Amino acid sequence: MPPVRTRALVVRTVDVLETSRVLTLFSRDLGKVVALAKGARRLKSPFQSSLDLLSVCDIVVLRKDGASDSLDLLTEAVLIERYDSLRRDLRSHYAGQYVAELLDALTDPHDPHPKLFDAAVITLRHLDEPFLRPRRVMRFELACLRELGLMPALEDCVHCGANVNVSVENDRVAFGLATGGVLCAACRPGQPHVATLSGQTLDVLRRHASPGNSWRDANLDPRALAATRGTLGAILGHLMGRRPRLWPYLGT
Amino acid sequence: MYAPPVQRLISELGKLPGIGQRTAQRLAFHILRATPEDANALADAIRDVKDKIGFCEVCFNLADGPRCRICADERRDASVICVVEEPGDVIPVERTHEFRGRYHVLGGALSPIDGVDPDDLRIAELYARVEAGGITEVVLATNPTTTGEATALHLAGALHERAPDVTVTRLASGLPVGADLEYADEVTLGRAFAGRQGV
Repeated sequence: MPPVRTRALVVRTVDVLETSRVLTLFSRDLGKVVALAKGARRLKSPFQSSLDLLSVCDIVVLRKDGASDSLDLLTEAVLIERYDSLRRDLRSHYAGQYVAELLDALTDPHDPHPKLFDAAVITLRHLDEPFLRPRRVMRFELACLRELGLMPALEDCVHCGANVNVSVENDRVAFGLATGGVLCAACRPGQPHVATLSGQTLDVLRRHASPGNSWRDANLDPRALAATRGTLGAILGHLMGRRPRLWPYLGT
Repeated sequence: MYAPPVQRLISELGKLPGIGQRTAQRLAFHILRATPEDANALADAIRDVKDKIGFCEVCFNLADGPRCRICADERRDASVICVVEEPGDVIPVERTHEFRGRYHVLGGALSPIDGVDPDDLRIAELYARVEAGGITEVVLATNPTTTGEATALHLAGALHERAPDVTVTRLASGLPVGADLEYADEVTLGRAFAGRQGV
């Protein structure tokens, strides 16, 4: 197959053989690509410093026949963007690794999602803002769910479609992890894997999931942040079949 | 296709890194052609290394006794520790002849995405060495990769807390000697600028 040029984020690297590296790249046009970069670990490698974890680079990849098990081959990589804050600050670094883990775990090979790629790059660019970092991560988690068609229903009952009105201050609402969204009082009985969210948690989720800047104004005190993170963690853990590895490192 | 002992040898050689099926066959036939003394010497060397080589109880470098040669050498400066990721990283540092202190081998780099957490590395043992006293400097010589930098950040933060009097340093980054600026990549060149020194 002819070589394909695209922009990609390095989400996983594994050293193989003497000097080579197997890379998992989340590319804008090809989706997730697992490719072999021969000689990538050599000091005089043609890839130079472009293939480090969480770097964005322009790559040229030789796609292998879909029928064979062999890896795609990376023939060229030029560094476009790297994020120094991820090297200076551990919390930013872990948040960056979390972005990479979600991309690797939730996307399928050769299934492109350009908007998700853009969301990942924007998130990585702004992880150096300590106050906004948890919100940025949450925005990315929700963008991930939306772009992959896994977004839970946050406005209407996932079972019957009735609008679920919740007061931010007092109300609580049932949230079906297995059914994928909020449940009205009538549909709640008998549903499996149901969590209860406060009105504030649901409001935070709704604001962070919506376009625009209303997420910046959401009331995110430590308790609300912990509750929202817990809910998102439960949703993502349910989809991934395990708790994200970076989860304990994100803090609140 | 081959007699079972030959087939077994080929399949065992094929497990080595960088050795494919064809190379394994070539090596197997080379061993078949070799004298019994040479073939047995190879077998003994492999057996020996597995029987006798372990980890140094102090620094976790490879050792043929309880302590590696560097930890056992009284002439080495015990007050300076160079922290590296793998035993293989000790050799290039030794080749420089610039470092006369001792080492600490972590056994990898911190990378939760790959399932490597602080508890999986020999970090607690490093803290114990530093807290035992007599250490003036810890040189963090983890790889200049994202995970290597994260490991260095993690260690630096914890060492500053546990032993505020100990100087923690990081290896400098820059241009390789003899290299041409024209061919330097922007990251390395950028680091060389950031770490420029007065002359």
